[in-house]
Amino acid sequence: MNILETKGLYHDFNRLEVLFDVNLQVKKGERHAIIGPNGAGKTTLFNVITGTYKPSRGTVFFKGKEVTGAKPHHMVRLGMGRSFQITSTFSRLTAFQNIRMGVLSRRGIRFNFFHKVDTMGDVTQETDEILKRINLHGERDMPANTLSYGKHRSLEISMALATDPDVVMLDEPTAGMSKDETRYAIELIRRLTEGKTAVIIEHDMDVVFSLADRITVLHLGEILASGPPDKIRENKAVKDAYLGEMEG
Amino acid sequence: MDATTAMYVAQGIHGLAYGMILFLVASGLTLIFGMMGILNIAHTAFFMLSAYFCYQVVVWTGSFWLALLVAPIATALVGVLVERFLLRKIHALGLLYELTLTVGVMFVIMEAVKVFWGTENLPLLVPPLLQGLVDIGGMEYPLYRLFIIGLSFLILGFLAFILYKTRLGMIVRAAVADPDMVNALGINVPFLFMFVFGVGTWLAGVAGVAIAPILTVFPGLADQMGMDAFIVVIVGGFGSLGGAFMVAVISGLLSSYGVQFVSQLAPVLMFMFMAVVLAIKPTGFFGERE
Amino acid sequence: MMNRTIKRIAWGVMLLALVLYPWLFGIYYTNVFVTFAIFALYAVSYNLLLGFTGLFSFGHAMFFGAGAYATALALTHIEGCPLLVALLFGFFGSVVLALLLSPIVARLAHSAFAMLHLAFGMLMYTLALKLRGITGGEDGIGGFPIPPFHIPGVVSVDMTDPLNFYYFAIAVLGGSLWLAWYLIKTPFGQIIVSVRDNDKRVDYMGFKVPQTKAVIYALSCGFAGIAGSVYAMFQDLISAAALGIGHSFAPIVMTMVGGVASFAGPIWGAAIFAMIEELTSRYTERVLLVEGLVLIIVVMFFPGGFMYLVGLIKGKWLGFIRGKGFGVITGQWFTKRSGKKATEDDS
Repeated sequence: MNILETKGLYHDFNRLEVLFDVNLQVKKGERHAIIGPNGAGKTTLFNVITGTYKPSRGTVFFKGKEVTGAKPHHMVRLGMGRSFQITSTFSRLTAFQNIRMGVLSRRGIRFNFFHKVDTMGDVTQETDEILKRINLHGERDMPANTLSYGKHRSLEISMALATDPDVVMLDEPTAGMSKDETRYAIELIRRLTEGKTAVIIEHDMDVVFSLADRITVLHLGEILASGPPDKIRENKAVKDAYLGEMEG
Repeated sequence: MDATTAMYVAQGIHGLAYGMILFLVASGLTLIFGMMGILNIAHTAFFMLSAYFCYQVVVWTGSFWLALLVAPIATALVGVLVERFLLRKIHALGLLYELTLTVGVMFVIMEAVKVFWGTENLPLLVPPLLQGLVDIGGMEYPLYRLFIIGLSFLILGFLAFILYKTRLGMIVRAAVADPDMVNALGINVPFLFMFVFGVGTWLAGVAGVAIAPILTVFPGLADQMGMDAFIVVIVGGFGSLGGAFMVAVISGLLSSYGVQFVSQLAPVLMFMFMAVVLAIKPTGFFGERE
Repeated sequence: MMNRTIKRIAWGVMLLALVLYPWLFGIYYTNVFVTFAIFALYAVSYNLLLGFTGLFSFGHAMFFGAGAYATALALTHIEGCPLLVALLFGFFGSVVLALLLSPIVARLAHSAFAMLHLAFGMLMYTLALKLRGITGGEDGIGGFPIPPFHIPGVVSVDMTDPLNFYYFAIAVLGGSLWLAWYLIKTPFGQIIVSVRDNDKRVDYMGFKVPQTKAVIYALSCGFAGIAGSVYAMFQDLISAAALGIGHSFAPIVMTMVGGVASFAGPIWGAAIFAMIEELTSRYTERVLLVEGLVLIIVVMFFPGGFMYLVGLIKGKWLGFIRGKGFGVITGQWFTKRSGKKATEDDS
């Protein structure tokens, strides 16, 4: 079953066309990588799917229902999470507070004026558990912007997962990471996306081939190819587009 | 020309004169904001300070012309000192702190003039050369008002020339658009900021001298001009000289005609106009920067 | 828990001091304190928007004024209007105004938000000046009856007695302050500080940001309205000046001097300004001069405000960082030089 699907998706910014007839199909439970040279439209595709933009044309289906143009917070409530290429956490809040926002959201605790949030034991417990799972419990009370780059990035990714989404969209999760940090991140992502569906934009082919069940290649706004990793590796058009970048 | 038309024209000249003074003040403010992102609350206090300097020069030397030359420069100097030693140091803290600092500077200037010059209206005479009426088309108009309009156009022209025809102007315009980039090109941006701040303040200073004989010199000068100037900058667009010009002139004319015929509504109209503009286009008519 | 007991004792002492204050310092200083308390609530209400949600308003005075006028008008025109009803008029007067504006305001970019408030604020001020029939213009409305605090059959306390009014004001203003403080501690409070840091991300965590902003906006303005309401009753007079730019500056400068990064900051700011006024006005009329100098000195040397100073002295800088649901303000406040958000600048 396709948990996420786009049909005939086009998008342009004031006449600058960025996406052409994109038909993405993501199966439930798979890890699906989206790759392509810079400027291919990957982040725009994410933005359209997650609700930042309403596409110029075409439809987006999530869990079988049409969600074209739905706002981000609505997508989150339907079970989607998203991380950003440029780290976008609540930089002045602590790691704990950052994750807690996801927990509060998942539990539907929003316009609650009646309890002191610090005394909500189950919320605190769940948040601490998540922090332990991502190995950030030691940095629990540190403001996000004091974390090392790698840990900050981990936090970024974890926030996408803190609402316990069914589908998590990760935009270049390992951007700017060293080799060690990347290896660590791969493990983390693998662990955290067990039993979930993950759509990952990536440039680092190590990450792609370690994690992906299927790969979609985007080039100049169009899908060049889509399929299992070995098929993509063999694909001539893809190789041409990348000019030998794919050393797997 | 019959009497009614003549009255309209007279109103127009009054309005235009006020509009030009308003433009001088607003242009400085918008230049400063456009380039440095600072909304200088103290700007109109400088405007007033210059009027006081002008008064003092006249008291010492009896020459309005000397005051016109010296007072704006002295005011600009004060502005430059404020920029160099106060604003620059807190630039990194952001807009809110700059704003608060300029509020503090405004308070200090507004009270300091009371300390040195007292709280009464200080009269200032229009210089003999500019007194009296001028005959145009059978009707007579105050020469001084026409002088203000002329002087303002002269300054505007000079400003436009420098901005659009000289290398310095090009650099200034570039810095307004993208200060970081200009810095990266090796141009001494802090010095540029100081320079622009000085020029902006100088413009307010000229306006202050120009308006002194008309309104007399008193501590409330800043309030009266203040709101109007800010509205002009906001509606005309932050950083836009053309916008400031248009809105200032329209404001001047509106309030001049407005005051005569729709006395209750004129200020309200202006504010409603501004509110509507902002609601539709939150960056103002011409502004692009936020 | 030693800490807890010490805290409880400290609060108890403070409460006692508040109760005994008029007896210790006399009527004149009692009135000074009431004025301070009014502005403390006003400044705190403002900081709910500024320090906690990151919304910078340049026209908060219109809500203060709306509350004041609503109460004054109610007391003037409604025969036998009870005290608490008048207060409620003040609260709802502001809230209604806020709700009217919130559709426009909740979606604006930061600087547009500030400027629009400036515009509307000035508009309201001009309206107040011009609609002399309703508002009394520059002279304002005054001399309206101040009803007693009246519980039928139980008690009736005369509110024209400054002493009684003091206790009423402290109760109302203190209660409101406590409510505001509690608000920050709730889950909703977490959402608004998150909005301050990164409103895009809040959207991506599943929260509706415009609605959140609208709610905090309405509450903040409501609190300002309460402050205005008490102000009107305290002075038995309200004029258009209450909506003027001076009153829009006041909470900003009080918050900055007291410390924008904490709940209590604005309260300290209000206290500092009250003291400056009291001390300076004895020697000179140039109170604003001193206030201006204080502002400049604070911004240049202690941008974190009074609370920052306190934190330093106590050596509790670390504790300050912990935030307790608040988050650090590192001084990179409102760094929107070229439109980029502070979060992207920070890393």
